[in-house]
Amino acid sequence: MNRMSSMKDVPREDMLIHGHGACPGCGYAATAKNIAKMLGPNTVVYVPASCLVVFGALYPISSWKIPYFFTAFENTGAVTAGIKAALRRRGVDATVVGMAGDGGTFDIGLQALSGAAERNEDVIYVCLDNEAYMNTGIQRSSATPFGAWTTTTPVGQVVKGNRYFKKDIARIVADHNVPYVATLSVAHFTDFVRKVQKAKETKGFRFLHCLTPCIPGWRIEPSKGVSINRLAVDTGMWTLYEVVNGVPKVTYKPKTIVPVTEYLKLQGRFKHMSEEDILTLQGWLCEKWRAHYGEEPGSPPCPVPVHEEVLAHDGDPLYGI
Amino acid sequence: MYEIRFHGRGGQGAVMAAQSLADAAVRSGFHAQAFPYFGAERRGAPVQAYARIDTKKVRTKSQVYNPDLLVIMDESLSELADIAAGLKPDGRVVMNTTKRPEEVDLGKGVDAVCGTVDASALALEVLKMPVVNTSMLGALARVWDVVPLESIVEAIEDRFGEKLGTRAGILNGEAARTAYDSTIIGRTLGRKEYGKLAEWAPAWNEIPIGNSLRSETRDGVAVGPASSSQNLTGRWKWSTPRYDREKCIRCLRCWWSCPDSAVIRLDDDYMRWDMDHCKGCGICADICPVNAIEMVQGAHTW
Repeated sequence: MNRMSSMKDVPREDMLIHGHGACPGCGYAATAKNIAKMLGPNTVVYVPASCLVVFGALYPISSWKIPYFFTAFENTGAVTAGIKAALRRRGVDATVVGMAGDGGTFDIGLQALSGAAERNEDVIYVCLDNEAYMNTGIQRSSATPFGAWTTTTPVGQVVKGNRYFKKDIARIVADHNVPYVATLSVAHFTDFVRKVQKAKETKGFRFLHCLTPCIPGWRIEPSKGVSINRLAVDTGMWTLYEVVNGVPKVTYKPKTIVPVTEYLKLQGRFKHMSEEDILTLQGWLCEKWRAHYGEEPGSPPCPVPVHEEVLAHDGDPLYGI
Repeated sequence: MYEIRFHGRGGQGAVMAAQSLADAAVRSGFHAQAFPYFGAERRGAPVQAYARIDTKKVRTKSQVYNPDLLVIMDESLSELADIAAGLKPDGRVVMNTTKRPEEVDLGKGVDAVCGTVDASALALEVLKMPVVNTSMLGALARVWDVVPLESIVEAIEDRFGEKLGTRAGILNGEAARTAYDSTIIGRTLGRKEYGKLAEWAPAWNEIPIGNSLRSETRDGVAVGPASSSQNLTGRWKWSTPRYDREKCIRCLRCWWSCPDSAVIRLDDDYMRWDMDHCKGCGICADICPVNAIEMVQGAHTW
């Protein structure tokens, strides 16, 4: 089996073929296509309710060249584990991959995901994260970033957009002590290829978290469906790293932090954001940058932190005596 | 009661058009309702929206099966299926096409007053984007005089203004007025016959055990794995990539990034485009580091 280390090594044959019904410029389809292509023909794919069900295969017509299975929303972890068990029983050695959306991973599928990760089932779990429930018409999920407009976090007179910060699902899964967790971006192709290759050859539970832009949901130009991921990484909205057997490692670090406004202004879902909200988001990103890369982000956009002397227990020197 | 059916593609604004028409009707003293056909939300998919207008309260809540007025926002829809089905004998048609009304063919049995307008070109000119809903409403006012143009423009300016900003509202009103003036009215006579709809809908006892299908053909439809290549999604596009082989540095980025696998990597790592399935999103042109790909307005098949 040849080992893929760059885009040139990826086979020409598609496993998710053309003729599917995704929106023009769909980042979700581009990511799913490349992962399926790299995993190859000896793969079984499971998809819970998501865009990928609607555009990938509507009975009896399918875009998948490989065996494809679909049941309910919440059980990607359980069903992939079951498929793997059945294959093992039959003596078939095949890769089993579940491709869930962010709703099916962050919210609805979390318990089955946690169970499968805890048991260290031998499957690949791919989370294609487009940051809301896009298939049903853009409802907020716990992957939706701060400030974003969705139909359930509308822009009103007082409250404008989503008030909560994105949940760090990759860390939650990594804390289950699984062999491999990685975050992917389809625009960073060499990094993408290496991570999928690593996931393919690892045994045990593997989790790939991919940022997949959504054209109607993010209110972006169809042609930006892939390149906007570069800005997401440069601004710190998305970070690329992997956790191998509990050891985290940053795989790509942008040279300097780009102000988040560069990322926001391309997307209609953020166009209402006030100065104050942008500052809040920028502050969160700066904190994340410090924690993640272990170094100070550039200033501007990040303010230099003022280290005030922390007085324990309100300065009472006799506390605890 | 007047019943109106809108046929469009996701992203063209059929739902907003139906709502604006109902709004305009209410402004002219009618009772009205508007609602879309529920389906998966994605761009380019055939969608329908309905409106009902009456002098008294509208109690019917069903979809519109026998429209008085048919609004066709995308010409290629008439090639896929019999979208004029159920049109009333004295019904009317508004269509977005470059053709004259006499050249429009909506299937045998259709003999109706028809207005045609090149709304796609018009929308690109006025709004700078291919969203044809407001232009189609302008054309509608010309073909069908129940709801006057003034109410429609008013409704558009309010609705779009509230959602997208005052300037967008005024521009969309402008698009409607321009379309009103450039609509050609004539009569369409249907000639072509639609074949039996190619759709394999199995009964319970025909479904294979475990629901799994092999790659095969049933009633002329490819089913099972990899059967979607029969869907010619290339019909969705309004711009086409042009590839300059001389400039290409074979970096493979376009091949990697194409969501529709429409960029084919040849043996020597140069590219070829599959125009039957390219949706014209422009990702390849956007991501190309040497500008070897450019997007050209319109659907081409080079």
